[in-house]
Amino acid sequence: MIKVDNLHKDFGNLKVLKGVSEEIKKGEKVVIIGPSGSGKSTFLRCLNLLEEPTGGTIELNGEIINQKGVDINKVRQKMGMVFQQFNLFPHLSIMENITLAPMKIKKMSKQDADELAIKLLKKVGLEDKADSYPSQLSGGQQQRIAIARALAMEPEIMLFDEPTSALDPEMVGEVLDVMKDLANQGMTMVIVTHEMGFAKEVGSRVLFMDDGVVVEQATPSELFSNPKNERTKAFLNSVL
Amino acid sequence: MNFWQSLYDGFHTNIIVSDRWFLLLKGLGITLEISLFAVIIGVVLGVILALAKISKSRNFIIVFFRWISNVFIDVIRGTPSFVQLLIINFVVFASVDIDKTIVASIAFGLNSAAYIAEIIRAGIQSINKGQTEAGRSLGLSEGLTMRYIILPQAIKNILPALGNEFIVLVKETSVAGYIGAYELTKASQIITSRTYNSFWPLFAIAVIYFVVVKLLSVALAALENKLGKSDAR
Repeated sequence: MIKVDNLHKDFGNLKVLKGVSEEIKKGEKVVIIGPSGSGKSTFLRCLNLLEEPTGGTIELNGEIINQKGVDINKVRQKMGMVFQQFNLFPHLSIMENITLAPMKIKKMSKQDADELAIKLLKKVGLEDKADSYPSQLSGGQQQRIAIARALAMEPEIMLFDEPTSALDPEMVGEVLDVMKDLANQGMTMVIVTHEMGFAKEVGSRVLFMDDGVVVEQATPSELFSNPKNERTKAFLNSVL
Repeated sequence: MNFWQSLYDGFHTNIIVSDRWFLLLKGLGITLEISLFAVIIGVVLGVILALAKISKSRNFIIVFFRWISNVFIDVIRGTPSFVQLLIINFVVFASVDIDKTIVASIAFGLNSAAYIAEIIRAGIQSINKGQTEAGRSLGLSEGLTMRYIILPQAIKNILPALGNEFIVLVKETSVAGYIGAYELTKASQIITSRTYNSFWPLFAIAVIYFVVVKLLSVALAALENKLGKSDAR
């Protein structure tokens, strides 16, 4: 589904990604772990071109997306993204947060969009919050709404950029539960996270990134119980 | 003749006799007309200039327009508005027979646009980058993101400074009489030239300016309050 070849990203003189090649298949749940500054978030943000790669190619369904003439907005409609800081639109109600993109991009009627939004709100367990505003919601609730908002565009793949890192500990569970549901329904997911328990339970593959490259990758059970690389061992020792 | 009597006589001669109050009223009308047209020009042009300055597009036309915007804002902010008014009137429209109200509106509108552009730019850039990223990640274009996500939020941050600019603008129009626009200050000078009295005509227009600005600031405060309610951030 997504094929990344020799991806590079520089910020000025700082080389953040130093040649990442990876293939993500339909239905896979790829979890990316690694120390901060390892380039894992940048890698994720390159996938939907929020960061423009400095070198290498990214293919989506066989089509190179980081080249001239590609309609980037069309590409992004196929990739939902959930951010660490939720980034809900504070001036819009929860309902409007979810229906904005389907109505403006897909020209969905308000009635259809509202129906879709209610369905998604039920899915994340927040149908009673339809008329609230983001500031009236807890962090965990906001993040669940953010997931619903991304799902409203019916993406083929969902990208999660440290979705629980900004949450109070007691709210992490509710967001992970929504993500597990999504995983069980077969959604292709790429997740940057520090939640090792979640990585073990949901991940079909875990990538360990450090210093701009994928150092090691394996199934969760393999990687967590029997890491091969020294850096992976050191990282896992410090977090587990 | 006691103090109160002389005060009343002054008022009567300068404001009442020959319907001089009507001259002031007409002057106020012209002042408001210039201010209103200038605000419209300023806001429309200001938004365009601000968007041009913010855009990261490498499109040749937009890059060129961005350059023009920067030069325009630089020049306008670097020279007195009074000098700009004189240039517009005595140079640009020197050989054109055109209503001085319109000339003044254009001059103050162009001047205001430069300041409004900076106000709007600052307002847009005060919105967290994550808002743009969230919009773009959903597949919204740059324009749709600006229109439905950034601008509605920016307008709340912009409004106080924008209101201030409107207030400054209303008072700045007081020099338009210099090019022959019959605005409020000019009206007071006409009265003075008839009555040889400066106190009453000047005092009267000072009060009128004050009341206009006061009404404007009350209206703006009400608008701010109303916009602030839609989201308790």
